[in-house]
Amino acid sequence: MPEDHDKDVYPQPPRQTPVVDKQTTLPNPALILSKLFYYSVDVPVTKFRGIIEGIQGDKKSHYYHQKFRRVPELTECQEGDYLCYYEAEMQWRRDYKVDQEIVKVIQERLRACQQREGPSYRQNCNTELKQFDQVSKAFQLRYGDLGAYASGRKCLMKQKERMMAETQKA
Amino acid sequence: MVGMSVLRTAAAFAARLNPLKRTCQSSNLLSRTVARSEQVVVRHGSHGKRMFIIKPTDFYDRRFLYLLRNYILYTGIPMAALVTFINVFVGEAELAETPEGYEPEHWEYYKHPITRWIARTFYDSPVKDYEKMMALIQIETEKAEMRQQQLEVRRHMREKGDGPWFQIKTLDKNLIDNSPKSSPDN
Repeated sequence: MPEDHDKDVYPQPPRQTPVVDKQTTLPNPALILSKLFYYSVDVPVTKFRGIIEGIQGDKKSHYYHQKFRRVPELTECQEGDYLCYYEAEMQWRRDYKVDQEIVKVIQERLRACQQREGPSYRQNCNTELKQFDQVSKAFQLRYGDLGAYASGRKCLMKQKERMMAETQKA
Repeated sequence: MVGMSVLRTAAAFAARLNPLKRTCQSSNLLSRTVARSEQVVVRHGSHGKRMFIIKPTDFYDRRFLYLLRNYILYTGIPMAALVTFINVFVGEAELAETPEGYEPEHWEYYKHPITRWIARTFYDSPVKDYEKMMALIQIETEKAEMRQQQLEVRRHMREKGDGPWFQIKTLDKNLIDNSPKSSPDN
C-alpha cells in the first residue's frame, strides 16, 4: 500500500483510544489475534515496502492540490452574459463536490466515534452526532432533491422557493 | 430371428469345440454355461489396463479455453509486468504543499505515474479546456447577438423603408415620357 499523505498538511483530531485496564488473568483473544496479524502480515508487508522504497531512491515526485480562484456567482452575473454563467456554473459544481466530501468526512467521524464508544455511543458522541445532524440537514436543504442534472440555476431556484416559503410562513 | 439364435448357438458351440482354443476339457463342453476361470491378480507396470472411454467431444471446449487463456495472457502478462515495474521503480508521487510563487504543471496534480504520463502526453491542461469552452461560448454569444440585431434591423427597415434593404428598384424617372400629359385634352 502506498504511503498515506503527510498528516501535518491536513491534521486530524487527536485520537481518543481508551487506556487498557485489564482486571483478569485470562489471555485477551483480541490481543493474541492482533499480535498474530502483526507478525504474519504487517511486518512482512512493511519490510517489502521498505525494500521497494530503497529501490526507488530519493528522487520523489510531488503532487499538489489545485486551488481555484473565486469568480462572481450566478446572482452577480448580468443577464445574457453566458461566459459569466459558465464560470459560475463550474464554481458551483466544484463547491458541490467539496460539500459532498465534507459530508463524507463528518460521517466518517461519527462512524469512528460509534466504533470507539461501543454500545454507549448515543451518550458519549454528542458533539459528533450534533455536527452530523446539522451538516446533513443543511446539505439536504441546499442540494437535496436536485437530481442528477443538478445545476447552479436549479439550486438557485430551490433557494428562491425556500425563501418564498419562509416569507409566506412569517 | 430364430435363424439368428441358431447361428449364434452354432458359433458358440464351434468356438468351444475349437481344438486351438481348448482351455479346459471337462464335462461342461456341451452345456451352454461357460466355465468360470479363476481371477488372477496381475500386476501391470503401467496405470492398469488401457481403456477406450466413450464420452462426448470436449475438443471445442478445451480449444476455446486454450484460446481464451492465450489471448488474455498475450497482453495481460506484459501489461502486468509493465505496471509492476512502474510501481516498483518509479513509484507514486507524494502530497506536498504548493511552494510559494510556483504554479504546478497540470500533470502535477495527479498521484500515479501512469496517470501523470497520460495527462502530460495526451491531455490538454484543464485550464486550456476551460478556456476552449469559454471561447466556444463567446463565439456562440456573438453569433446569437448578431442574429438578433439582424432581425431587428430587418424589422426597422421594412417599417420605415429608409434603409438599403427592402428597396424595390423602380424605373428611372428620366426615362418616363411625360409628353402625353402636357396637353390635357387628348
